[in-house]
Amino acid sequence: MKIIVPLLLSASLASLPIYAQQTLNDAQIAAIVVVANQVDIDAGQYVVAKTKNPDVTRFAATMVTDHSAVNKSAVDLVTKLRVTPEENETSRSLKDGGDNNLAQLRALKGKALDRAYIDHEVAYHEQVIRALDTALIPNASNSELKALLIKVRPAFVEHLGHARHLQASYK
Amino acid sequence: MRPISIVFPVIALVATFVGVLASAGAGADARTHVVSIENMKFSPDVIHVRAGDVVVFKNRDLVPHTATAKTGKAFDSGILQSGGEWRFAPKHEGTIRYACAFHPMMEGVVIVERP
Repeated sequence: MKIIVPLLLSASLASLPIYAQQTLNDAQIAAIVVVANQVDIDAGQYVVAKTKNPDVTRFAATMVTDHSAVNKSAVDLVTKLRVTPEENETSRSLKDGGDNNLAQLRALKGKALDRAYIDHEVAYHEQVIRALDTALIPNASNSELKALLIKVRPAFVEHLGHARHLQASYK
Repeated sequence: MRPISIVFPVIALVATFVGVLASAGAGADARTHVVSIENMKFSPDVIHVRAGDVVVFKNRDLVPHTATAKTGKAFDSGILQSGGEWRFAPKHEGTIRYACAFHPMMEGVVIVERP
C-alpha cells in the first residue's frame, strides 16, 4: 500500500515539507522512529551545552531525556520482535534534516540560537505528530509496535505545547 | 462491697475505652488515593484527601516525570522513572498545586481537608 509521507528536508523556518510516495513496513517504521528521536536528542544535547537561557536548558534537557526513553522502548521492542530497522527514504531525509539543523544551530549563539532551536522544535514536532497520525500508526502491522506509537504520541504533543509556550514568550 | 473497690476498675475500664477511641481516630480511617501519571497527565488531576491519608503517584508513561509542589516545599517526588511510584501523606489542610518539573504543562491539585 502506497503511503504519502511528508519529508522535512531542511530545519529552517522557511523550509517546506516535500511529499514522496513510498511503501512502509514495520522495519522501515522502526527506522523512522529511531532516527526521528535521535535527531531531537542530538539537537537537545547541543543546545543544553550552549544556551544560557534556563527555560531553554530545561526544555532541551527534557527533549534529550524523553526521546532517549522513547528510543530505548522502541529498540527494546524491535529487538524482542526480531525486527531490524530498515533505512528508507523518509529516515534518510529525517537524518539529513537533522544534520542541516545542527549545522544551522552551530552558526548561531545567544538569543538567536535559542529562537532558532525553539522554532525548529515547534515545526519538527508538528511534522512528527502529523507523520504518526497519517502514516506510522495507521500502517504499523505489528500490534505492539502500533501500541507503542500510540503510547508515545502524547509525549510529542506535550513537547509541542511546551515549545509553543516558549516560542510565544519571544513575541 | 466498699465503693472504692469498684472505683479503680471502673476508672481503668473508662481509660481503656478512651484509649481505644483515640487510636482508632488517628490511623484506622486513613485512605490511599492513587494518581496515575499516564498520557502526559495526572489522573485524576484534582483530588480531595484528608490530612493523614496517603497519596500514591504511579508513572505509567514511557518517559520520566515528577510530582512537585509549585509553591513552598509541600512535596516533591523527585524523578519517577517509567513504572516507578512515590507516596506521601499530607499533614496539613490546604490546597497544593503541583506540576511535573520536566513537563510544565502537566498540572494537578491536592486539596487537603481536616480529618
